Amino acid sequence: MKTQLIVPTLCAFSTLLFTACEKKAGTSAESTAAPEAPAASGGSIGGVPLVTTLPPELIEGTPKPIKVPNLEPAPTKAPEFRVPAGTELLSKGKKVTGSDTNPIIGTLDLITDGDKDAGEGYFVELLDGFQWVQIDLAKSSTISAIWLWHYHSQKRAYNAVIAQISDDPEFKTGVTTVYNNDYANVSKMGKGSNNPYVETRYGKIIDGKGTKGRYVRLYTAGNTSNEMNHYIEVEVYGKAS
Amino acid sequence: MNQPLPFINRRDFLSKTIAGTGAGLVLGAPNILRAADPGSADTIHVALVGFGKQGEVLFNCLRNIPGLHFQAVCDISAFNLKWGMGQVRAFQRSSPKGYADIDDMLATEKGLDAVVVATPDFWHSPHTVKCLEAGLNVYCEKMMSNTIDGARAMVKAMEKTGKLCQIGHQRRSNPRYRFVLDHLINGQKICGQIVNINGQWNRSLGSSQDIGGEKLHASTIVPDDVLNKYGFKDMHQFRNWRLYLDLSGGPISDLGAHQIDIFNWFLGAVPKSVFASGGNDYFKKREHFDNVMCIFDYDTPQGGVRAFYQVLTTTSAGGGFWESFMGTEATIKISEIASSSAIYREDGAPPWDKLVERGFLKRKPAPPKPPPSADSVKSYESAPPEGFDLPGGFNKPAHQPHLENFFAAVRSNGSVKLNCDARHAFLSEAPIYYVNPSALTHQPIVFTTEQLSV
Repeated sequence: MKTQLIVPTLCAFSTLLFTACEKKAGTSAESTAAPEAPAASGGSIGGVPLVTTLPPELIEGTPKPIKVPNLEPAPTKAPEFRVPAGTELLSKGKKVTGSDTNPIIGTLDLITDGDKDAGEGYFVELLDGFQWVQIDLAKSSTISAIWLWHYHSQKRAYNAVIAQISDDPEFKTGVTTVYNNDYANVSKMGKGSNNPYVETRYGKIIDGKGTKGRYVRLYTAGNTSNEMNHYIEVEVYGKAS
Repeated sequence: MNQPLPFINRRDFLSKTIAGTGAGLVLGAPNILRAADPGSADTIHVALVGFGKQGEVLFNCLRNIPGLHFQAVCDISAFNLKWGMGQVRAFQRSSPKGYADIDDMLATEKGLDAVVVATPDFWHSPHTVKCLEAGLNVYCEKMMSNTIDGARAMVKAMEKTGKLCQIGHQRRSNPRYRFVLDHLINGQKICGQIVNINGQWNRSLGSSQDIGGEKLHASTIVPDDVLNKYGFKDMHQFRNWRLYLDLSGGPISDLGAHQIDIFNWFLGAVPKSVFASGGNDYFKKREHFDNVMCIFDYDTPQGGVRAFYQVLTTTSAGGGFWESFMGTEATIKISEIASSSAIYREDGAPPWDKLVERGFLKRKPAPPKPPPSADSVKSYESAPPEGFDLPGGFNKPAHQPHLENFFAAVRSNGSVKLNCDARHAFLSEAPIYYVNPSALTHQPIVFTTEQLSV
């Protein structure tokens, strides 16, 4: 698989602000999963803040210890990330395919249905092992950010989180890897330099770095609580070409 | 009151429980390689009855136990049923049969050996009794029942049918707990005389919220006629049965039963009385108390023991959940969480250097001595006890050893004993049924033999 060089996007100020705001959160739960710290900031120089509707807190059950190296501290607020003016949510309602065509529970369309609640029925559970889902944005686009929620009713870290962008639906050519925390190379796609992180209602923003592509593919290989793979929602932000 | 415990020697304990703390991630063997051959004579054929949250927890342990074939899943919720069947399919790459009704399952399925029951508490007894009477061995989650008579029926059915019935007090199979009881408390008499016990399960507000919230996904909703048929008024009751008087025993049963069972098991005794207090001081609309405190009094061969227990649902203060056995020479604080477990030597007790050398204990690093403070007040405190870690970590899911014990007993034709069969579980659980009544009446209850008997 060929990986392209990534060039960070620079952009100008803009007056555009996304619709946003945080839903009133439920009571926050104490976690034993990881130390907490302010969310990291990042994204384009200049630009506008990327904001979305955050789901309410829903923590169920007893968390399991997260034993992975270099675990990022769990955020206590939404991540701060700037994107170029004119950036739009491209993925809402778009078609999703995946390596597991018969999910254990839920359906792949839940990934782009716009609902980020953590409860039963709001997520899709894929088979164990190394699995992927793929969003077809319908047009080749310049992608600024991927904001994803795997599962946030229990603090856990997903293994081998990899995000790729391509214009090839088979991901055989023109593939850009924009995120990879597969520190143990379980994917056999090469070790990644990003760190494992704790799932929370704040989700995880992956810098799209202005990469062009029609398809976004996300991989995982189970998580620190069980062997399965889950997605609640994925939001892909950018500009359609 | 306890059955003789299968001996776990120290070397076995250490070799089986060294924590798997390596940072490297390795994907496990593919599920299909771990699944049992359904055609093998050695395979145990299992039905899973109830696949809610706890059913999933148990299945995630069961899948680690060799030789099990999951033949059927039963749940009244189409969502839970699909999820359970999907989990099984993912594991053994063949779909089990699915049933909404346990009677249909028992009438249809042939060749079952065992059933794992993880339904709401008020269904434990009817489901367990049905399965035992159908000739199946049963592993049933604790609390045995929401009523003491329900629990009694389970003991009677187990003894009448001669089938195995293990109750899910999983700490009874936890190697750390068994090592502490066998080797430190009974073997080394390390505590001296245990005079007091303290225990708690303090759960944060965030973990004590109603499940499901206001926005249920359409795919999870069980039709009203189905809910009513199986004893639920509505979806809130179905998802939050632990909050309702007719469906469960509340937090003292849901959380406290695990730990009060340890009080009784470690002492080898049942209490002679209980005095409790409880209230709805935060969750004012809940039918059950949101916090309960109680004191049990015991007479033991060593002397009297007074045990305090609290279950709180508005704070995780005090370190979550643990039990502490306080003796004249040592205090053992033990939990399912290794980092919450330790032993403290009283000043003046015999030294433990040889126990450390032999691997029974691990010395904790000495804490730094605090500098003298200008605003300190001189007092006459006892010397602080010296702390030691208990050996080993525990690298399996918490419920797995207890399930392993159950299936070893099923396979053994009697040579392996259950660590917590229904009769022993009843003896330990019976006093717990009187905690809420004591709190409601603000009166102590001195137990009669009849109250604590089957």
